[in-house]
Amino acid sequence: MLEAMELRKVFKGRTAVDDVSLFLDQGESVGLLGPNGAGKSTTISMISSLLTPNSGDVRLNGVSIVSKPQFIRQVLGVVPQEIALYEELSAYENLKFFGSIYRLKGKQLEAKIQELLEMVGLRDRQKELIKTYSGGMKRRINIAAALLHDPQIVIMDEPTVGIDPQSRNHILETVRLLNREKGTTVLYTSHYMEEVEQLCSRVYIMDHGRIIASGTTEELRRILSGEDTLLLKLDKPNKDLANVLRSLAPIRHVEETDNGLKLIIAKHSSLLSQIVQTAESHQVEIINIHVHTPSLEDVFLHLTGRTLRD
Amino acid sequence: MNPIFMAQWMKEKRSPIMILAFCGLSILATLLFGTGSDSKMQIGVFPAEGAGDTAAEEWLDLLNKGDAVEFVMQDELQAHSEVREGRADAALQLMENDYRIIAAIDNPNVQLVEQQVHTVFVEELQLRAAEAYKKDTSAFRTEVETYLKHPPITVQSQTTEGSQLIKYNMSLQLLFTFTLFLVMFTIGFKINSITMEKVSGIWSRVILSPVRKSEMYMGHLMYSAMIGFAQIAAVFLLFRYAFGFNLGDQFGMLLLIAAMYSMTIVALSMLLTGMVRTPEQFNAVFPSVIPIMPLLSGAYMPPGTITNEFLLTISELFPLKHALDAMIDIAIYNAGWPDVFLSVAKLCMIGVICMGIGINLMERRRV
Ligand SMILES: Nc1ncnc2c1ncn2[C@@H]1O[C@H](COP(=O)(O)OP(=O)(O)O)[C@@H](O)[C@H]1O
Ligand SMILES: [Mg+2]
Repeated sequence: MLEAMELRKVFKGRTAVDDVSLFLDQGESVGLLGPNGAGKSTTISMISSLLTPNSGDVRLNGVSIVSKPQFIRQVLGVVPQEIALYEELSAYENLKFFGSIYRLKGKQLEAKIQELLEMVGLRDRQKELIKTYSGGMKRRINIAAALLHDPQIVIMDEPTVGIDPQSRNHILETVRLLNREKGTTVLYTSHYMEEVEQLCSRVYIMDHGRIIASGTTEELRRILSGEDTLLLKLDKPNKDLANVLRSLAPIRHVEETDNGLKLIIAKHSSLLSQIVQTAESHQVEIINIHVHTPSLEDVFLHLTGRTLRD
Repeated sequence: MNPIFMAQWMKEKRSPIMILAFCGLSILATLLFGTGSDSKMQIGVFPAEGAGDTAAEEWLDLLNKGDAVEFVMQDELQAHSEVREGRADAALQLMENDYRIIAAIDNPNVQLVEQQVHTVFVEELQLRAAEAYKKDTSAFRTEVETYLKHPPITVQSQTTEGSQLIKYNMSLQLLFTFTLFLVMFTIGFKINSITMEKVSGIWSRVILSPVRKSEMYMGHLMYSAMIGFAQIAAVFLLFRYAFGFNLGDQFGMLLLIAAMYSMTIVALSMLLTGMVRTPEQFNAVFPSVIPIMPLLSGAYMPPGTITNEFLLTISELFPLKHALDAMIDIAIYNAGWPDVFLSVAKLCMIGVICMGIGINLMERRRV
């Protein structure tokens, strides 16, 4: 449906986006994950026709929107990274304005405004000025303002940056509703991998202007060579136990933590009873064992040697 | 109605403080500096060396029969220094049968004084000459006076440019200056909201909507011009009806000049926003550039005060000067369109040029 091909953008000699290709099928929810400065916003601006790429193309149903931007603008809703609202006006007035620029008016506009306010949970506070809102409430209106014209494709640029958990849940719920119940195609940008894992069926991971990995969340996790991480919580530290465990073949790595041990073991090796017995023989009690499946965060760490929040 | 225009208006209604403050400042400044100078013009008079004091007193009585100017006896040195320091427009030296006007500049007030003194002297000297042939001089004077109540011909004095000599109204000039000056701030800050919307992302949102870019600019420009015009009109109306200022008989024409001036200032603000990078920079640069304009073009001083060629050339670039010229001509000298054509043409030309360059700069800066 929507396809970006080999996009490149250079700002004053610095390459912000380099050879980025991605696609969205109808009804899909796709994540674009990467740390700050990776080039996510720049990519999104090019896809939404706000920025002209130095090279490459963006196509909607086969038509290049670089030369025909109005083609995508009709069906697109963009939630910008910044709060793009009139601070001096109320939430209601803002939505009225952003509806009127899409030529909506009268009862139809009014009904849409109330529906969206309900959806983001701010219907009872619609008369208050945006500047009196909390960061999270502003973000929710920022999203609603992009949905007034019922766009088929919604692009969200880090819609949950720096907000309270309640607002965050509201936003995640809104995105899920849009995608699963209304069939809206969603491109969701974030540097929080938990969100992307929850919301998106497919993910592109971006770093330094390039896509470094892509696929379903499952496929991406499999990038991490068949390993599991076990976290053991012990009643007391014991050096000998660590050394004995280190000598067991399927255990690749043993590390002492604050209250126990971290083991990296080959996947599907049934070591648990052996570990418990070894601990008992050293008079150490295992309080609990946690099997940690790798997250996209671990994938990113594996690919770049850095965490997403660096 | 254009939604962009409406959104600006909604914001204004929420916080009308800025425009009210600038209206208030225009009024306050005019009342503070503009009134007082409206009383009769005072001209210092002193007898020339050798001329008798009594002769001077006689001339003084005759001169003070007119009502536009008040002549007062003064010490010679003091009269000279007042003229030199600009506290008086002119001083008058009286001889037995002649006079000299001492002035540092040539402005309409000096011309007015000159004209009045000249008339009094010519009349009186003619009378004295005629008296020489009459026995009963006082009867002759009465006769002449009665005769002159219904003169066979009337003479009207005119300036060299052909306009009638009218007492210059400095407080009106100051009213125009302050109002035109302060409205630049209102308009400039309104135009700056374009850059603010670009930074906040609102501009991009509207770009993505079916609203065309030309409509977006039009909404902002029309709104800024409108609010500026409303500010000028409000101040003028207040002075005309509440403070009883005489703004001349062509109020409609004044308002038209105000409208043209507002549009030119919109264009000038566009040029300045186009030259800076951020709204904060504009807020720093604009208020430091604008006050130079009335200062350099002499808008706070009586006309003719500034004689420096360089300053005169520079002030040709300022919309304020041309609008002020046109307004003064209309309000004080009752000028018609042909008389103010040149000022209006220059005003419009500045507007067109600034707007052209301004929009170009603004659009080019967006990558
Ligand atoms: N308008 C611009 N001018 C110059 N450099 C820019 C501009 N926009 C973004 N950049 C640079 O491009 C890089 C990518 O930025 P961005 O796309 O905003 O990253 P992200 O959204 O992933 O945090 C950054 O290094 C940023 O400084
Ligand atoms: Mg970004």
